[in-house]
Amino acid sequence: MSFVLKEEQVENLEKILNKIIDDGGATYALLTDTGGNLLCKVGENSIDGTSLAVLSAANYAATKEIASLIGEKEFSLLFHRGQTENIHFTRVAPDILLIVLFKPYLSLGLLRLKVNSVKKEIKDILKA
Amino acid sequence: MAIINLREGIIQVKIVYYGPGRSGKTTNLIYTYNKLKERIKNKLSSKLITINTKGERTLFFDFFPIGLGKIKGLDLKLQLYTTPGQIIYNSTRKLVLKGVDGIVFVADSLSSRREANIESFKNLQENLSYYNLSLSDVAMVFQWNKRDLAEEGIPILDIEVLEKDLNSELNLPSFPASALHGDNVFKTLNIAAKITVKSVIRKLLGSNGDEKMAIGG
Repeated sequence: MSFVLKEEQVENLEKILNKIIDDGGATYALLTDTGGNLLCKVGENSIDGTSLAVLSAANYAATKEIASLIGEKEFSLLFHRGQTENIHFTRVAPDILLIVLFKPYLSLGLLRLKVNSVKKEIKDILKA
Repeated sequence: MAIINLREGIIQVKIVYYGPGRSGKTTNLIYTYNKLKERIKNKLSSKLITINTKGERTLFFDFFPIGLGKIKGLDLKLQLYTTPGQIIYNSTRKLVLKGVDGIVFVADSLSSRREANIESFKNLQENLSYYNLSLSDVAMVFQWNKRDLAEEGIPILDIEVLEKDLNSELNLPSFPASALHGDNVFKTLNIAAKITVKSVIRKLLGSNGDEKMAIGG
């Protein structure tokens, strides 16, 4: 499933990711496909987005395999808590993952609400 | 799963080095990475990521991206991966194949590894079929690695044997190589990249992608 991302699509995706940062309080957001190809990223952070996309896709895939080993379809929550940064992984479309970095003082529940509210928008843009 | 991002002007393709355990897949990647680093005087922005076991074997994958020249006005970015070759790691090998656009099958020239090559090749076909792909859906080249061992008097398979075992039906480009010494490492990658990009462009943009491209030298 290869695809071409048009300029307008990338701009719209970036707008949505910026909403997660501006309204949701996240520090960095990135979209990747499940094969590890970076689609777009936003945020002030100087993180290597290419590597983050690849490792996140691998992490997601490995976790999904663990789920199937124990008889689950997939885990609904996948996130890691760090000292100064947390990371949250969500599948927003069949082959697309949204990775969000946020500070530990931010509520995970609120972030999840924000992420859920933009899922459909992302899906619609990618479908176009 | 190749992606063309028209905003960034990037075409991104995924090439996976596949083959039996210890055939030299990681060595290919390390050689390529080090040479590129040397040539552009340590200004290579990409990192080589390896997720290894405590020993020297690949547990999950090795990965690094390379930015190359332009093709059809777009910056070409290759994502190079290796898979773990050992039989027990089939689930991770399958995961690394997700979204693959091109494959370099690295066969071991050691006489004692003939069966392992054939088994790994069959395993590749099985794992591709998991994603509803067949060998004809992905661009592919063969590399007959470890040819240098002949000079040390170690018995190795004739190229004709390797061709007959693995490439007789497909008749794809193949390269005798020594990943350890770098012989034909760039040549393999160059041709693999060329045919992969060509097939991706044909699929996505509907043209044949006949542009000049050279990696390393």
